Amino acid sequence: MKLDRINVKEAFRYMGYGSSTPDDNVLSIAEECERLLLEVIDAKYVYRYFRIEEICTSDTTDRKAGVILDGCDLALMGNSISEHLKGCEGAVLFAVTLSEGVDRLIRKLELSSMASAVIVDSMASAAIEQVCDIAEQEILEKLSDRYATWRFSPGYGDFPIESQKKFLEVLSASKRIGVNITQGGLMTPCKSVTAVMGISDREVDRKRRGCSVCSMRESCAFRRKGEHCGV
Amino acid sequence: MCAACGKAVLFAGKVSIVEFKELLLRKNKASRKYILLDGAMGTMLQASGLKLGQVPEVLSFTDEELLIGIHRQYIESGSDIIYTNTFGANRYKLEGCGYSVRQAIKKGIANARKASEGTDCIVALDIGPIGRLVEPTGDLKFEEAYDIYKEQVLAGTDADIIVFETMTDLLELKAAVLAAKENSELPVICTMTFEQNMRTFTGCQVSAMALTMEGLGVDALGVNCSLGPDELVPVVEELRRFTSLPIVVKPNAGLPDPVTNEYNVGPQDFAEKMVKMAGIGATIMGGCCGTTPAYISELKKALDGAEFVCERADIPSAVCSASNTVIIDQPRIIGERINPTGKKLFKQALKEHNLDYIMNQALEQIEGGAEILDVNVGLPEINEKNMMVDAIRAIQSVCDVPLQIDSTIPEVLEAGLRIYCGKPIVNSVNGEEESLNNVLPLVKKYGACVIGLTLDANGIPKTAGERVAIARKILDRALAIGIPKENVFIDCLTLTASAEQDGVMETLNALHTVRYELGLNTVLGVSNISFGLPYRELVNQNFLTMALSYGLTLPIINPNVVSMTGAVRAFRLLTGIDRNSMDYIRNYSGYAPTKAVVTEKTADRGNQAGVMAGTDGTVKGTLEYAVENGLKNEGARLTEQMLETMEPLDIINGTLIPALDRIGKNFEKGKVFLPQLILAAEVTQVSFEVIKKKLAADNRTPVSKGKIVMATVKGDVHDIGKNIVKVILENYGYTVIDLGKDVDYMTVVNAAIEHKAKLVGLSALMTTTLVSMEKTIQLLREYKVDCKIVVGGAVLTPEYAKQIGADYYAKDAMDTVAVAREVIG
Repeated sequence: MKLDRINVKEAFRYMGYGSSTPDDNVLSIAEECERLLLEVIDAKYVYRYFRIEEICTSDTTDRKAGVILDGCDLALMGNSISEHLKGCEGAVLFAVTLSEGVDRLIRKLELSSMASAVIVDSMASAAIEQVCDIAEQEILEKLSDRYATWRFSPGYGDFPIESQKKFLEVLSASKRIGVNITQGGLMTPCKSVTAVMGISDREVDRKRRGCSVCSMRESCAFRRKGEHCGV
Repeated sequence: MCAACGKAVLFAGKVSIVEFKELLLRKNKASRKYILLDGAMGTMLQASGLKLGQVPEVLSFTDEELLIGIHRQYIESGSDIIYTNTFGANRYKLEGCGYSVRQAIKKGIANARKASEGTDCIVALDIGPIGRLVEPTGDLKFEEAYDIYKEQVLAGTDADIIVFETMTDLLELKAAVLAAKENSELPVICTMTFEQNMRTFTGCQVSAMALTMEGLGVDALGVNCSLGPDELVPVVEELRRFTSLPIVVKPNAGLPDPVTNEYNVGPQDFAEKMVKMAGIGATIMGGCCGTTPAYISELKKALDGAEFVCERADIPSAVCSASNTVIIDQPRIIGERINPTGKKLFKQALKEHNLDYIMNQALEQIEGGAEILDVNVGLPEINEKNMMVDAIRAIQSVCDVPLQIDSTIPEVLEAGLRIYCGKPIVNSVNGEEESLNNVLPLVKKYGACVIGLTLDANGIPKTAGERVAIARKILDRALAIGIPKENVFIDCLTLTASAEQDGVMETLNALHTVRYELGLNTVLGVSNISFGLPYRELVNQNFLTMALSYGLTLPIINPNVVSMTGAVRAFRLLTGIDRNSMDYIRNYSGYAPTKAVVTEKTADRGNQAGVMAGTDGTVKGTLEYAVENGLKNEGARLTEQMLETMEPLDIINGTLIPALDRIGKNFEKGKVFLPQLILAAEVTQVSFEVIKKKLAADNRTPVSKGKIVMATVKGDVHDIGKNIVKVILENYGYTVIDLGKDVDYMTVVNAAIEHKAKLVGLSALMTTTLVSMEKTIQLLREYKVDCKIVVGGAVLTPEYAKQIGADYYAKDAMDTVAVAREVIG
């Protein structure tokens, strides 16, 4: 997959600019940063579609809330994911990465120019969202005439971040796109994302995730200012 | 040796599988023209109901018959070697499955043995990647990776052979191969997964894999998984260029459909495509994901009728990192700057364990034109071995030029060779017995190239003839223990022209003989020639040009000196190596030699733009203005100017810090944003460097307000936030002892005690790693370390900081400065 531009506006929002426009000096550095970043991004994704066997929510059963997938050893646990997938017959598990070149570029820039490193880091965060959008579209095209919920990732709400290891294993993400995990549960390369989309034959509520299920809601700088991070 | 040309003949005749000789003889397979591997295990298990995400090794116990059945089907299809069901049998992946590594591996081998009873099938202990990446991308230490593989190797002694497959990281594979070689006698096969761009996911090149693994002494190497057979043809061709070992190919049955999980190349199709591999040099073949016994039967039929003809090419003399192979078929520049000899700042950096300084030296030389970097960190008052390891790790985390490990101490060389990712150069061995006996075995074991100095116990011989004799001796000794000729480079040694004028031509004559009669690559440290003379650059450049004409292939120079790098590039142009002058034009188009510090190209961008980033009326052309507007070059120039009349401390306290403060305040008010704040800090940093240089020149100690220990806690690998804080703190005059990321609790405690730090800063990004932060704080308290603790990071809140026992919570870099001022002053 190839990105032609980076959503620079979004990247500046991540850097705290809000509605302000960066000065010319920063803009000209950012231009160079965008060029460098586009050169090293090697965006890849992998996905699998699973039929949903059962959704247990707290109001339907006294068992632990979670979603059981057919032929998959990973149960998606928690109320939030169960609510999210309500009404869906299937789920797509997918993983996306910008690849290791981005990590390397940021490491290098941290030595020569920390300002550029910060800008590239924010731009890469914007880029991975763009890549997720494209991946989502391509996946949906292959699942013709079906509808999808918004993306929901391990760590949102009570969907345990500890599922990450098995999540990646189910997708053979290490083998297929080179995404691994650290002992602390972080994905490497750094700019990688995993997510679940509910799939249905009928139109479904997209269910954007918002602040209520976000683990950052207590410390979020956007929220403090009355803004929103955009996801 | 070939009688006619004196060249070592590596490949008399056709490609074969003879390297497995003994094992193959024992198994009655020595006369075979190819070896057939098996097909996929995972695909077969999934077809029998294994759920995605389940641990396949558990089935070895719970459904033994299924496993034995699969192995049997492959043997019946004609497999000469079957892989055990142990791909993920490491302590990380088996965690919580109820079986130990030892149990899973023993059982996996036992099942394969049972299946192959009564046949002469070879049982291969199959080992895949750990599932966690090694540093710098991942958090796994090289030694930890080694240990994980060692456990598997020791459990698998019942197998006939060890296979490492589906590897993507060269350093991880190196840990695996070393674990196998050092803990077992079994032959080793290794295969990596290359993508369409001819690289693995971590950027490893086909050539780098071949050069590094053949050097480490594996018995066969190649590619598995990745793609279908068609797409792997170029990979196999590239392997053939860089190795004389048997080549393994085990492709997927095309690519899987993400919905149905079916692969798109059928058995017959697969077999037909694989026949192509026979013609380009592969001799060990099978299938990976998506292939079944049907594929292997078809493959056997096809290969039985295939022509295994492939003339081998000469393996070039080359060195590499994982992602950059440098073939020494023309003069290549070795950068000499990572070396403390005669450099005050470098020595100080070593004493302070300042790896950033070393990394910057590396990047600067690459920018200058270095193609290989010499790394020497020898200083009597530091632990050279640890420093060498840390320096190599740091350098390879940010650049990809191959390295030359430079030390006089064999233990230092070995420590560096172990963790180096690729095929390095060892600098150096000489004609003395002790040196030959200590260094050459290391060069052989780790598959490195080596520089042989033409001196021995009697010193440097006067005449060319005597130096060539030593070169010959070094070459013979290297060949005798199996170091191939293309890995031996000879340094005929530069003597100082002002002291030994007649020695210059002796050096050049010796060099000529070594290059054209012994046929070896040659090395020279060039700058020594002009010692004691005025206008040294002129002498250096002329000597370099002469030496190149005499056959010098590896000049060791300061690549930052334009005339030196230029001499090499011009030589490559004039001798027709640089075809159509492409490289020369790329580097010098529009270049005008100038001594001015600020050229148009390097002038600060903000200058013309006339930005007023949060300036409260500072005057253009002052240092304050430069800081507040992010003008680096201007900042350096103005600092130099001010140093002529002012005391360093007055510049720091009177100008730099107030300027930073102003921009900091505006940052807090939301008038200035993070990139600008950091840009200002970078200008201050440049100013500080100018001041430091001046102080070092005056033999005065640098100024510091006090030491702060900083770390991103254990388990956390995202450290950009900590690094921002570090830059800002340093620019307020604090000395930051940066412990890096994923730092052990105890390392923080020890550093705080050792440096008597008044403040310790801890950063964590994820909720999952906050626990590590808490543990680090507990330990600091337990050891009663006399320091305050400040914490920060995305998910932290002031309340939580208090709860885990921190003294301060800082929401950003400026907040941390406020804390430092309160604690240290």
